[in-house]
Amino acid sequence: MNTIVKMNIWQFLLVYILLIIVLIIMRRRRINQIKLLFIASIRMTVQLVLAGLVLTYIFENPHPLFTVGYIIAMIGFAIYTVLSRNKGLNRQFKIVVGVSLAVTGLSVIIFFILAVVGVNIFNAQYTIPISGMIMGNAMTGVSLGLKTFNENIRTGRNKIEVLVNLGVTPDKILTPFVNTALETAILPTLNSMLGMGIISLPGMMTGQILSGTLPMTAILYQISIIIAISAVTCMAVFCSLYFGYKTLYNKKNQMHI
Amino acid sequence: MYLFELENVEYLDVIKYPNIKVNKGITTFICGDSGTGKSTLLNLLNTAKSPTKGTVFYLGRMIDEYDTIEHRKQVILVNQSVYLFDMTVRENFYEFYKYRDLDKPDDNTIHKYLKLCIADFNMDALCQNMSGGERQRIFLAICLSFMPKVILLDEPTSALDEKNAGNLISNVKKFCQENSMTLIIVSHSKQLAKQYADDCIELRNGADA
Repeated sequence: MNTIVKMNIWQFLLVYILLIIVLIIMRRRRINQIKLLFIASIRMTVQLVLAGLVLTYIFENPHPLFTVGYIIAMIGFAIYTVLSRNKGLNRQFKIVVGVSLAVTGLSVIIFFILAVVGVNIFNAQYTIPISGMIMGNAMTGVSLGLKTFNENIRTGRNKIEVLVNLGVTPDKILTPFVNTALETAILPTLNSMLGMGIISLPGMMTGQILSGTLPMTAILYQISIIIAISAVTCMAVFCSLYFGYKTLYNKKNQMHI
Repeated sequence: MYLFELENVEYLDVIKYPNIKVNKGITTFICGDSGTGKSTLLNLLNTAKSPTKGTVFYLGRMIDEYDTIEHRKQVILVNQSVYLFDMTVRENFYEFYKYRDLDKPDDNTIHKYLKLCIADFNMDALCQNMSGGERQRIFLAICLSFMPKVILLDEPTSALDEKNAGNLISNVKKFCQENSMTLIIVSHSKQLAKQYADDCIELRNGADA
């Protein structure tokens, strides 16, 4: 059970053959995303190799500062990605999104590592990969939530204007938009729970099993991380939108959308 | 005392308004070419926008001193591009009343306002299947049923033929007089203004204060 097959570098390179198949299909079907395929594959490879090197170094020279630094970088990158995918937010809205992601992300990470797993928060081997999963999902959720919110606001501009002119409060006008976006953002996570264990063995569990962990231990980790991911997604999207929509109008109840 | 008074009002360096005075309880038409700030003027009167320079007075007090939500309930602006929910006529009344925290109106009330706006359609008909003119009249009926003190109409007849337009304005004017409501109408139609205006404000490009 506990034998881990180490990949030989040449065997590893074989997997890129699969990418060539993707390339051929895209060429044939004239899908104009070949550049993206190259950039994405190269970036993915380089970024992961770098992450591997950095993690190796951190595991060999453990220091609390490394763990903290890694998490800060992760949160920073998550915030940057969300904001660059959602241009056109006002300054205050951006701050709200940043703070929401950082605070909800950190709280769930700390709770998960300290209380659920029960190891030292500075233990890089646990904290870094788990933080990555939590922040990654929070980032996707907030991005999707903001995108839905902004699109609905844009298409609902007329409705918003009409309601303002009838003397309806901005709160009442905008909360339905917040609710719809929140629902859209958390649905994928909830739906993915449905097929788990039947259609797919999720990534974390697969990884643990491949590296020799007993399946029953692996599923405990998987169940808890999925719940943590649902929670962080819901919390981060909720905070971003709930405090964010209040930046869309001023004290005179005039909308800036 | 005037209902509204504008003093040296400018908006975004683009529009300069003359010193406008609007009297209470009458029908005032606002005329002028496109781009003279007719719609913006209505937004200044209902506090959906604030002037960049100058002051707007409402009943003798600076308009900033009023609670904006309460003010907009009293001074309702009926947009040119109306909005109706994809529901029946009756449900649209209910939905807008819900947004305003009011109890559902009964069928008699709904019928009365629909008739007033020459929109006497089946209350169970779906609004998404209606023409622009029909939707415009239903929306106006909903707005009037809120019984504001002032009603601002932005091109209320843009989707109506001449005959319907005349009848509608005539009905609405009569209703406003009976209920001592002030009516302010932005309209392109010189003929409507001639026929129904008690007072007329002409906006010009680059009009000086």
